[in-house]
Amino acid sequence: MSRHPAPDELLLDYATGVLPEGPALAVSLHVALDPAAQRTVSRLTALGGALLEGEAGADLGDAALAGVLARLNDVAVEPKAPPTQRRPGFEWAPSSLVPYLGNKAWKRAFGGFEQIAIGLHGDTHRVALLRLQPGKGLPVHRHVANEYTVVLQGGYTDNTGNYAVGDFAVGPGPQEHEPIADPGEPCIALIVVEKPIVLTGAWGRWLNPLLRWGWM
Amino acid sequence: MLTADEAADLIEAIASRQDRAAFATLFRHYAPRVKAFIMRGGADAESAQEIAQEAMIMVWRKAASFDRSRASAATWIYTIARNKRIDLLRRTGRPAIEVEDWLTIFAPEQGSADKSVAAGQTYMRVKELMEGLSADQLTVIRMAFFEDKTHTTIAEELRLPLGTVKSRIRLALGRLREALEREEEK
Repeated sequence: MSRHPAPDELLLDYATGVLPEGPALAVSLHVALDPAAQRTVSRLTALGGALLEGEAGADLGDAALAGVLARLNDVAVEPKAPPTQRRPGFEWAPSSLVPYLGNKAWKRAFGGFEQIAIGLHGDTHRVALLRLQPGKGLPVHRHVANEYTVVLQGGYTDNTGNYAVGDFAVGPGPQEHEPIADPGEPCIALIVVEKPIVLTGAWGRWLNPLLRWGWM
Repeated sequence: MLTADEAADLIEAIASRQDRAAFATLFRHYAPRVKAFIMRGGADAESAQEIAQEAMIMVWRKAASFDRSRASAATWIYTIARNKRIDLLRRTGRPAIEVEDWLTIFAPEQGSADKSVAAGQTYMRVKELMEGLSADQLTVIRMAFFEDKTHTTIAEELRLPLGTVKSRIRLALGRLREALEREEEK
């Protein structure tokens, strides 16, 4: 059990499939790395299955089955998907992240860290992977919107505690924080930030480092 | 009625030999249930029917990915129907996302999920569990599963503070864990 699990209500939203893509990706990584979260989600999904099984059923009409069977003539039963291939250097990435990585490479960001921006289908959240060398920190920043962080390699420490692989942080926590990467392997984390509804203006963007780096 | 083992056998028959008779049996059992489940969320009969049919076609396509040691047929079909519903909602006003993308994000691949719970879960056990929840907890859980709502939306609609809804969810999940852990020890 991780020391910083995702809250139950977020796991419920994940299990019922209502989370937007960015937060869903963050929770999927936490679930892949945390057996307790995986157990909770698998129980919640089983609950959904049991609720489905318990339905009395609504009539589809006589023609429905014949219609679907006719359509199956053009639909192949797909072979079992092969296990996801890990890219060299990206062995730490759980399989749900792999399709988002493509051939993207780490890019140095102003501020002493590296990042990979992750593209989403929707437009409600910004997602990126951050890599911090041991002992390095992100500049002090303010949280201006909902933010989710999942640690994928190494760990970091801020004034709220120490976060290791699989740990899940929900922001905004304190008004400001300054995460520092732990000794050992570089810290890699996925960060999902809700796009603020209100634009902060040119000065606001300049004053907030994460905004300035095109984060929000 | 269809037992969990029979339903799993049918999906495996589709996977191994494209068994149309097995599909037909599965369709007769699950398509009406999916339609009824989706209609509880407020969908009209026509949309619910479309989701049920599309979900069953997905069951055919993805049959080889079904693993009875990880989930019961009902649970697996629930996840497919849930994703199809999301897909349909996105088509009406939200950006389109291919259901396959959602299957990846929403289906952790590790085989370590409790086999006893996922595969052996029966409707009766969960029904008993649901009866043990308070009316307040039950309302929140039903809205989450049947009405396709986030906990934030549930709080808004019930005009409750977010913290109240969170604590009801946590209490209900606590009951669920307790009941299922008892079950696993048997």
